[in-house]
Amino acid sequence: MSVLTQTRQDALNLFEKLGLPTQRDEDWKYTDASRLKDLLEPTPVDENIHIKDMGITGLDAYRMVFINGLFAEAESNLPEGVSILSLAELEKNSVGDDAEGIAKLFTVDTQAPLINGFNAYNAAKASDGAVIILADHAILTKPLYILHISNQSNVIRHSFMIGQHAQAEIIEHFISTGDNKALSNSCSFVALKAEAHLEHSRIQQEGDKQSHVARVQVKQCKKSSYTFHGVELGAALSRTDLVVNLHGEGASCDLNGLFVLGGRQHADHHTRIDHKAPHCTSRELYRTVLDGRSHGVFNGKVLVHEGAIKTDSNMSNGNILLSKNAEIDTKPELEIYNDDVKCAHGATIGQLDDKQLFYLRSRGISAEAAQELLTFAFADEVLVAMRNQTVRSYVEKAAFAKLPHSDDLEEMLGS
Amino acid sequence: MLEVKDLHVSVDGKKILKGLNLTINAGEVHAIMGPNGAGKSTLSNVIAGRDGYEITSGSITYKNDDLLEMSPEERAWAGVFLAFQYPVEIPGVNNTYLLKAGVNAKRKHQGLEELDAFDFMQTVKEKAKLVELDPSFLSRSVNEGFSGGEKKRNEIFQMAVLEPSLALLDETDSGLDIDALRIVAGGVNKLRSPDKAIVMITHYQRLLDYIEPDFVHVLADGVIQKTGDKSLAVELEKHGYDWVKENK
Repeated sequence: MSVLTQTRQDALNLFEKLGLPTQRDEDWKYTDASRLKDLLEPTPVDENIHIKDMGITGLDAYRMVFINGLFAEAESNLPEGVSILSLAELEKNSVGDDAEGIAKLFTVDTQAPLINGFNAYNAAKASDGAVIILADHAILTKPLYILHISNQSNVIRHSFMIGQHAQAEIIEHFISTGDNKALSNSCSFVALKAEAHLEHSRIQQEGDKQSHVARVQVKQCKKSSYTFHGVELGAALSRTDLVVNLHGEGASCDLNGLFVLGGRQHADHHTRIDHKAPHCTSRELYRTVLDGRSHGVFNGKVLVHEGAIKTDSNMSNGNILLSKNAEIDTKPELEIYNDDVKCAHGATIGQLDDKQLFYLRSRGISAEAAQELLTFAFADEVLVAMRNQTVRSYVEKAAFAKLPHSDDLEEMLGS
Repeated sequence: MLEVKDLHVSVDGKKILKGLNLTINAGEVHAIMGPNGAGKSTLSNVIAGRDGYEITSGSITYKNDDLLEMSPEERAWAGVFLAFQYPVEIPGVNNTYLLKAGVNAKRKHQGLEELDAFDFMQTVKEKAKLVELDPSFLSRSVNEGFSGGEKKRNEIFQMAVLEPSLALLDETDSGLDIDALRIVAGGVNKLRSPDKAIVMITHYQRLLDYIEPDFVHVLADGVIQKTGDKSLAVELEKHGYDWVKENK
């Protein structure tokens, strides 16, 4: 058996050992994964999905399209001179020494935080993914836009390796067609070498029968910086584990999350930041706006290890419930194993601010529009950190469409 | 323009205003002075329509309408404006958008066409100059990160854009240094006109050196204790509020 086949088999064995998480697991207390059991198996068929005009239009970017978990080369547009490869292609053509390197892309680090059965299954069954290797000092001149379109269950596995002093922006976008019950199982592994910078967005906008399980695992070397924007708008059930390892001195991460949910949607983000080296900075801002009978879960844990002196960490989670049937479970956690740190964390659950409402109304804004405006502004604040204005305005429009909005407000923001 | 009659107001069961009477006509500038806790801010908040005030008796008539029956936005449309003592920060809401929405909501209510974007921006820039507000503030979130003085200036700027008939300035002078006070007062003076009325609530006679009132009222213990002209403010400064109560 080749090393690659063996690695995949090991992952499958691990999956069989772990099984799917249950609500008895502390990390899955609020999210019922059992209903996803029958949806695990990928159907990597390149169906005739008419993809023209799908996704974010008008975005000046390199483009990589995956249909049901398979790279659609004809729909893609990749830069010259940068290694952006298909994982499936790599696997198919691997021989000898190469195979060992490629096998590593399928290895499951069982010691990493928040590892679960879905992740093992992903390593075992991934049908494709993007493998991006950006050389030292390379700068990706345009963002890379990875568009995932599905109407079947799919398993996708990306690796983004950013060299020393290299810079890139990657946008992952997930949409679906039709109304199949299906599961997207996605993993993205990010490795940032010294002083590398990555801005990484994940916009999940799948259909309301779909489910989405994701893992984003980041390792950062010295003085690297990582910015994450996680936007949950779609899917019946979605769960993301975001794991950042601040491994090198002076590394920094900035994690932004926004859920705008309605109906019976359920979204869960578990984030974990490990401060392992001195002088690292982490910022985290998560906001949710929940309507209908939707359910949001945020669990953010920051762990400051021994020796990680001069750690500067700030986490904030704000939630607005627009309906009495909506629910949020939030738990910011902080564990510190040395004295010389500056850490803050907090969560709020609430209604809109009466003083702000009155201020707007006293300027002639109707009560209804004032409420909607403040709700939109609350969500939009998370998006301020998005540097790509085309992406930001796309997400703003999509979020706005999901929020209650009267004609008054449309007029106000439309102009 | 405004007729307050025998107004009694309680907050959390505590009586604040106890039969206040006040008449304001178009073209007049009134100053309301008084010690802390006299009910000055309560009066301005009740006129603007803020929640949390229980009006136990009395009436407020504004341009022949029952003001107390109107929502805060209806009052704004009808031309009532409150410059807040503590303007709230509203992250994510753009200063100019807010004003444009406010102006257009009012115009719509008056049956007028909405202003087009270009005309509106011209007006806004003009009015910003009036209070020497840096144009960069126009594109910022409402009051976010503004200094105390900048917030007050922004209030007067908003007033200039919204062109109210009745403007209430709630301690607009507090927290302003002398230069800022001069600028803000200059802005207010330029907005004086025969069809507008201004009510200034203040602790200090200083403001009245810059904006000369037609009437000065002393509000204490929930009622207007004394009304006079500008010289009353000078007397007050000299003798304090107890003198007013003794010389009613």
